Amino acid sequence: MTDKPIIGEVNIKLEPGKFTVIIGPNGAGKSTLFKILSGDISCSKGEVLYNGKSVNSYSSQQLARIRAVMPQHSSVSFPFSAWEVVELGTLNAPQEFDQKEIIEVMKKLQIWYLRDRSYNLLSGGEKQRVQLGRVLIQIWKKQAFPRYLLLDEPISSMDVSLQHLVLDLLNELKTRNIGVLSVLHDLSLVGNYADEVIMMKDGNVSFQGNVSEVFTSYNLEFLFGYPIQVRKFNDTPGLLVHSLPLHHINHRLSQVQ
Amino acid sequence: MIKTLQASLPKVKHRIQNTILLFLGILLIGVVLLSASLGAYHIPLESVVGVLSSKLGLAWGSYTEPQSQVLLNIRFPRILMGILIGGGLGLAGAALQGLFRNPLVEPGLIGVSSGGAFFAVVFIVFGAGLTALSPLFSLIGLPLFAFLGGLLVTLLVYNISSHSGKTDISVLILAGVAINALMGALIGLVLFYADDAALRNFTFWSLGDLGGSNWSKLGIATTLIIPALAMIMRLFPQLNAMALGEREAYHMGVNVQYVKYVLFLSSALIVGTAVSISGTIGFVGLVVPHLIRLGFGADHRLVLPGSFLLGAMLLSTADLFARNLVRPAELPIGIITALLGAPFFIYLIVNFKKVKY
Repeated sequence: MTDKPIIGEVNIKLEPGKFTVIIGPNGAGKSTLFKILSGDISCSKGEVLYNGKSVNSYSSQQLARIRAVMPQHSSVSFPFSAWEVVELGTLNAPQEFDQKEIIEVMKKLQIWYLRDRSYNLLSGGEKQRVQLGRVLIQIWKKQAFPRYLLLDEPISSMDVSLQHLVLDLLNELKTRNIGVLSVLHDLSLVGNYADEVIMMKDGNVSFQGNVSEVFTSYNLEFLFGYPIQVRKFNDTPGLLVHSLPLHHINHRLSQVQ
Repeated sequence: MIKTLQASLPKVKHRIQNTILLFLGILLIGVVLLSASLGAYHIPLESVVGVLSSKLGLAWGSYTEPQSQVLLNIRFPRILMGILIGGGLGLAGAALQGLFRNPLVEPGLIGVSSGGAFFAVVFIVFGAGLTALSPLFSLIGLPLFAFLGGLLVTLLVYNISSHSGKTDISVLILAGVAINALMGALIGLVLFYADDAALRNFTFWSLGDLGGSNWSKLGIATTLIIPALAMIMRLFPQLNAMALGEREAYHMGVNVQYVKYVLFLSSALIVGTAVSISGTIGFVGLVVPHLIRLGFGADHRLVLPGSFLLGAMLLSTADLFARNLVRPAELPIGIITALLGAPFFIYLIVNFKKVKY
């Protein structure tokens, strides 16, 4: 162990109604930052504020009302069904929910048909959608105060159509005065869905800001130390993000010479 | 059955769960009546009902005075003690398995049984001086020592694994294993100095026994166990959340440290009381929660009270066998629980692998 901090100076603001994404290479400190923001661990210097109040001044119950968290991996130690896992999201305020909301969320995530299956027997992508359902239901009911949704690689095991389904759903959620923060790895999804990007490298924030400003080939190449290209997709606002194998790039270069 | 239960909408699910609990409760009453009737001194069911109903101010059957004496002074306190201890062990097992997120946990793991046994053996072997000091000690010395030992060692395990207000569950398990080994060694050391009578005395104590139950012991046990039971039962939603992990439970609004503390202390109180009154009765706390989960799913709303009812039923049945197999002598109840429980348990895990975790 060294005394070198895992994360250096970070100053970020999560805004309700916006989809903010953290990207960066492995070991950049994304998950640590994520844990600090969700209140799992506290930082040695500085503080995390939720709606202007320090995260430590909230009880776990109060905190659960203003933010929901989906960690990278969650195992379930007993044979709970998918329905039961999703239902756990109502734990903090069971009287506020009826089964309509749970059914709605499960149908939106296309896991309704899995409801009586044992969670531990589901595939990776199915598990992620069930966990996501649990987290969504926690903040599903509209509230007067702003709330936040923190997701650590929520779609990493899903197929491409499900990834779009989930990101669309997250965009819909923004309209409920909810700020969404997610760690994501798929850059082309980030470029097309995120509002704000936080780019982390070696425990520091290298760039942050609006996607249209900071999500550039130059910044991404710097961040990952690998050639990456960002292009407009024809006449649409969509972005295409390429990263080719090095031998293809070398081949191209030798042709040019 | 389990599938319909797990996929049912809450209202329906709760109704099914309540029906299951009602069913278990009725079965338990059946075992109680049978247990009251059978024994070295046979009392017909009709008389059992007669005595019970006369206590409620009804007259539903006839009975003789000796029958009433045996039932009221010997069998009923013993049966109720069996229900309290068996149910307590089942529920404590379910709570600790939920807390540790591990289906292999049994109440002994947190050191309460071995600590109780160590203090008990110390009293059995070296306690002669104390019993000479006051006759009170010959009466309550052994249970008192066992109870204190169980609680002290449990607190030691808890303190080892807690650091700045947080308890590390994996350290808790390791500390429990280590302390159990240490207690085993210390028990061996004390037994090394024991005479044959003390050795036999301890051996039978450690195999468990519900004999010697009376109303005053039952009163003490009830005062200690019932509040702890209630504390645990109230925490079923939190235990469900803990199945996802401590971090996830915290995110969902559970005060994790409080839940750990309450579950741990309440379980220690229940098991410590059980050990002090009836010796170490193994297997109930491990098997019973499994059976409930295999049959009816993992929702603690059902698992906790279900484990109480089934544990009570299991121990009452075991006691029924203990009293009747070698009449008029008695077998230690711990032998029966393991003898009946182990093969049945193996049968279940072999046949129900599909629903495993």
